[in-house]
Amino acid sequence: MMGQFVLRNLFHRPMRTLIGVLAIAVEVALVIVIVGLTSGMLQETAKRIEGIGADIMVQAPSAQMFLVMSGSPMPMKIGEKLTELKYVQYVAAAFLQFNSTGGVETIWGIDAKSFRDVSNGFVFLQGRDMEGPDDLLIDDWAAKAKKLRVGDKYKLLNHEWKVVGIVEHGKAGRLFVPIQTLQELVGARDKATIFLVKCTRPEHTDDVIAEIKALLPNYPVRPVKEFMTLMTSTNIPALQTFIHSMIALAVSVGLLVIFLTMYTTVLERTRDIGVLKSLGASKLLIVRSLLTETALLCLLGVVAGVGLSYLVRAGFLAAFPTLSILITPGWIVRAALIALVGAVVGAMYPAWLASRRDAVQALSYD
Amino acid sequence: MSITVRIQTHTGNELVEPELKTLEPILKTENLWKLYHAGKVEVPALRGVNFDVLPGESVAVMGPSGCGKSSLLYVIGGLAQASRGKVYVDGNDLSAMTDGERTKLRRHKIGFVFQRFNLLPALSARGNIAIAQYIHGDGFDPHRFDVVTKLLGLEGRLHHRPSEMSGGEQQRVAIARAIINEPKILLADEPTGNLDTKNSEVVLEMLRRLNQVLGQTVVMITHNPEATTYFDRVVHMRDGVIVDGIPAD
Repeated sequence: MMGQFVLRNLFHRPMRTLIGVLAIAVEVALVIVIVGLTSGMLQETAKRIEGIGADIMVQAPSAQMFLVMSGSPMPMKIGEKLTELKYVQYVAAAFLQFNSTGGVETIWGIDAKSFRDVSNGFVFLQGRDMEGPDDLLIDDWAAKAKKLRVGDKYKLLNHEWKVVGIVEHGKAGRLFVPIQTLQELVGARDKATIFLVKCTRPEHTDDVIAEIKALLPNYPVRPVKEFMTLMTSTNIPALQTFIHSMIALAVSVGLLVIFLTMYTTVLERTRDIGVLKSLGASKLLIVRSLLTETALLCLLGVVAGVGLSYLVRAGFLAAFPTLSILITPGWIVRAALIALVGAVVGAMYPAWLASRRDAVQALSYD
Repeated sequence: MSITVRIQTHTGNELVEPELKTLEPILKTENLWKLYHAGKVEVPALRGVNFDVLPGESVAVMGPSGCGKSSLLYVIGGLAQASRGKVYVDGNDLSAMTDGERTKLRRHKIGFVFQRFNLLPALSARGNIAIAQYIHGDGFDPHRFDVVTKLLGLEGRLHHRPSEMSGGEQQRVAIARAIINEPKILLADEPTGNLDTKNSEVVLEMLRRLNQVLGQTVVMITHNPEATTYFDRVVHMRDGVIVDGIPAD
């Protein structure tokens, strides 16, 4: 009977219910999409680094996990020293430059030959490898997003490049240019952001890491496989703060809307509450009926929110094919719990208020 | 007040010696006061009311607006706390009870009928009656439900919402809701106040039948002198006190 009562109340004012459901849906979608976007981008970046096929990566002492934000280039000569180490087969230097004009992207400055050695080369879908100083390689996702074809001109960093090849996605970055040209353009001659090391055999990775650490104390040296596990939002403090802020914002919106919805509900149902009291309904029963109604509203909002998240993801991916939004069951559950807790907290005061209503006053309420 | 009655019983076809029984009031007030506060001013709504109702009795309480009729009903129904004096319902002293205890007593011993019907708008007639059974705690009793809805002529209207029913039908649903749990006392606050003459007569007749057929104790507040003819006894109130108590005939 209580379930029927709650259900009927919920749909007695369809517009009010719809607004409540939408508010929860936006809250849930905001959490899922924000987290999905950050973790998706991080995981996708990590996968691309892993996809290079190198065994070890070396960064400058003050370098950050998020490569493009490193801003700590190392001398190119380090590469020569690394090549001399035992069990090191190939070393490739890469210079990474963040570009925000015409889109947010990372440009990889590489030496075509050494990168090919370390990574076994690109899979070319169209065109050829870089030969000239202004040659640009682009992966298939970026080519689709930017609508570029082999032979097209593309302006980057105030420099005009020529698209010479389209490669399969999944290796390092999306845009590749000759390292010397990129170094010249940003005034970082003979500098590298990262060294990618290929060992003679994968089993030698630990030995080579030990050698590099002895040669370059304080330089972060790690197996590429480890990079995947380290590329999480928890290892990037600013990102974690951003995610927490967005979740707090989403919860605040949901909580306030639910508070307002249930507060107006309690006002509207003042007389009904008086009737329930006249029938002998306890305070607990009144609180329980309102909180159950809130929970049901929240459940509908969560379902709508999950649907909305997938819709937003589809929209984003259609507009920005290079984006990666990772929607995981874990975060759907977490978003649902966050929304539920927020909604119940938002409904608590109105429910308490309802249970405390004077029955006589409630019965004479107009 | 208590009265002694002679009750004639029989076993099969044989009459048994009449039994003398003393009936204690099911409802009793002693020097009952109810004060309301308007800012710092105390406004007395009830000024020492002494009032008894016997089991199975039907009593109409009459008086002008503001004389304290509704306050009396709310206090004896446990919806409002007495400021001074005693209220006994089926032997329980309401004035000594907490809000929770009065809620429990209302749930089991009292049924209310209001002037404005006060049905829950989201529920059907069936739902409005069944929720009283749910709150009572014994669950849905289909037999009792059928008896009550049949008695009140509601069989064909059970799936309708309050907004789809006439005032008379709504009031009959409200009466069904009030008596579904077999309360000791039915308290009606001007139940015909929002009804036309024809529906008023139907509702008053229903209350009379409940009293006469089921032995339901009924206390009704009314402005309408004609309505009192349906009741055993009429009590007049003025300025917060009962000024007399006379038989209806």
